[in-house]
Amino acid sequence: MISQKTILKHPLSVRIFHYLLILSFLPLAVTGVFLYFKPLSESAMNLTMQIHVVAGVVLTLDAIAFFLIGFNRVVLFLKRIFYFSINDIKWFAILGGYPQKILLRKKVVVPSMGKYNSGQKLFGICVLIGGTILIFTGWILWALPHLMPREAVSLLGTLHTFFAWVLTLFLLVHLFLGIYMFDDFKAMILHGKIPYDEAKEMAPLWVEKEIISISENSY
Amino acid sequence: MNVAAKTYQKGEIPGVIAIKASACKGCDACKRHCPTGAITGSFGATHSVDVDSCLSCGQCLINCPFGAPYETSDTVDEVIARLKDRNTTVVGIIAPAVRVAIGEDFGLPAGSLVTGKLYGSMKKAGFEILDNNFAADLTIMEEGTEFIVRARHAVFGEKSEHGAEIGPLPQFTSCCPAWVRLVETKYPTLIPNLSSAKSPQQMAGTVAKTYGTKVWGKSAEKIYTVGIMPCTAKKLEASRPEFNNAYEYNKKNGRALTDKPYPDIDTVLTTRDLSRLFKKLKINLAAEKDADGGSLLADYTGAGTIFGNTGGVMEAALRTAYAVLTGEELKPLEFKPVRGLKGVKSASVKLKDTKYNKEVTVNVAVIHNIAENIKPVIDEVLSGRSPYHFIEVMNCPGGCINGGGQPIYGNGSSWLGAIRPLFAWK
Repeated sequence: MISQKTILKHPLSVRIFHYLLILSFLPLAVTGVFLYFKPLSESAMNLTMQIHVVAGVVLTLDAIAFFLIGFNRVVLFLKRIFYFSINDIKWFAILGGYPQKILLRKKVVVPSMGKYNSGQKLFGICVLIGGTILIFTGWILWALPHLMPREAVSLLGTLHTFFAWVLTLFLLVHLFLGIYMFDDFKAMILHGKIPYDEAKEMAPLWVEKEIISISENSY
Repeated sequence: MNVAAKTYQKGEIPGVIAIKASACKGCDACKRHCPTGAITGSFGATHSVDVDSCLSCGQCLINCPFGAPYETSDTVDEVIARLKDRNTTVVGIIAPAVRVAIGEDFGLPAGSLVTGKLYGSMKKAGFEILDNNFAADLTIMEEGTEFIVRARHAVFGEKSEHGAEIGPLPQFTSCCPAWVRLVETKYPTLIPNLSSAKSPQQMAGTVAKTYGTKVWGKSAEKIYTVGIMPCTAKKLEASRPEFNNAYEYNKKNGRALTDKPYPDIDTVLTTRDLSRLFKKLKINLAAEKDADGGSLLADYTGAGTIFGNTGGVMEAALRTAYAVLTGEELKPLEFKPVRGLKGVKSASVKLKDTKYNKEVTVNVAVIHNIAENIKPVIDEVLSGRSPYHFIEVMNCPGGCINGGGQPIYGNGSSWLGAIRPLFAWK
């Protein structure tokens, strides 16, 4: 029998942060690729850079606001993405069973995961470190390149390009799996809740150790 | 080469600086260092240089974080070929600012004064030496004397000894080729205010191919003069077609062996170029022993030495003017109000002109980093409200010491103007 119970996976503050992240990082990634290859006319490149800057400012404000308003969520997020166990190695050994499931239509035994699986934790770490570096370097490159030591700006430019590519390529995987895991996609985009049974299957450690039942009937 | 360039004479290098499109990020940092807005291209798009507005100062080149601007004129290999030619005497004309910068490229601490090692390295490479400090002394005697003539004409109505026209006050210095080009292209009505004295580099070239023929025992045609400068604009200056005074002089005196005019300065190497030349010839400047210049043409005073800093030309000129007008040496010799990195420095000097037995007050100004500081001063002069009689102008922040041809110091910013963020947009 399929349970109708749901679990609140993404609270409103996280969803708002993520909406703004979609609004800012997607344009940043697309314009960033254009700025890297410079395929457009001068006025189009200028517009591309202007969109990049505006999206960068939105991303910065989003990150600062979430850090201040949702500080408890930030702490939880940090605790979760930086918690490692032997299961993470086992998970990466089979890539979470996704290639088998998607390419071979075969289900394999996946090590028990917490709220985030090992791939999501790696992505989280990349977003945290890479995103912070991208924001910091982006502001220097935009506002202060003429005031900083030449070699420092050059290094920051290289870091900006490197992490931009890492996150942009990771974003493609994130988008694919985000939509593939359609319940999770709906939770993040719409109401924040995922079915209890799916959570128990995908994140059994989270459900067992962290989830508290609020009401037998409602959730 | 930009064939559409309109502000160059035939024979001049039409723009010493260009931008490598593949390296340009469109970040606009270079625009904040350009004194004339010569860098075109919107924020985000690949930038390029408008050669007609460009002064060839190279400030964009030494400040671009991504190394996109480059020099279009590179004659290091040509100089090496001349050095290997036994029939040619190659004369290296070393500017004051080169000797305190080139050591960096050989692992010596920034700012090391390496005159002796530089002489030694140049001799090892095959150069004869004409120290540009010697020519700076010539320049300051010309420029200082010219100022006295202009001032006496303005104050006492004194006429020119030779009946020539006397220029107006304020007198501007003319050693900086970027500044001279700015006046010629943007403020042509101020050309009469520029000192008529040539820059030390150009005086040195003429001396090398006239007096130098006796020093080195070679005809002018066999002398190849190389300006070694902290400045990319000096490459443009040397290519100006009117700078063939040695040829004209030698021809007039029956000493020219050819009808083909030759330039006073055959080519210019920047400090970076010279460093590259030494490395190609496997000469380690840091390990070289000190040497002397070898002739009178490497002797100089302290006035020539300070030319490379903002305020240096003015201080040297005031020392000369003081000595000529009063018959005494300025004491103390240092004139500190014109030293330092303030954008516009000004001072008043009281001098007694012994010829007229009258005391005169000379108001002087020193401007560097013209991108930030020149406009108000020029506006005053153009409107006839300038309080100054003599104005030194150097294009680069800090003077030639921070010229576009100096070794690129990656750990510092040469931005000396107002500290404010860019927030580039258009």
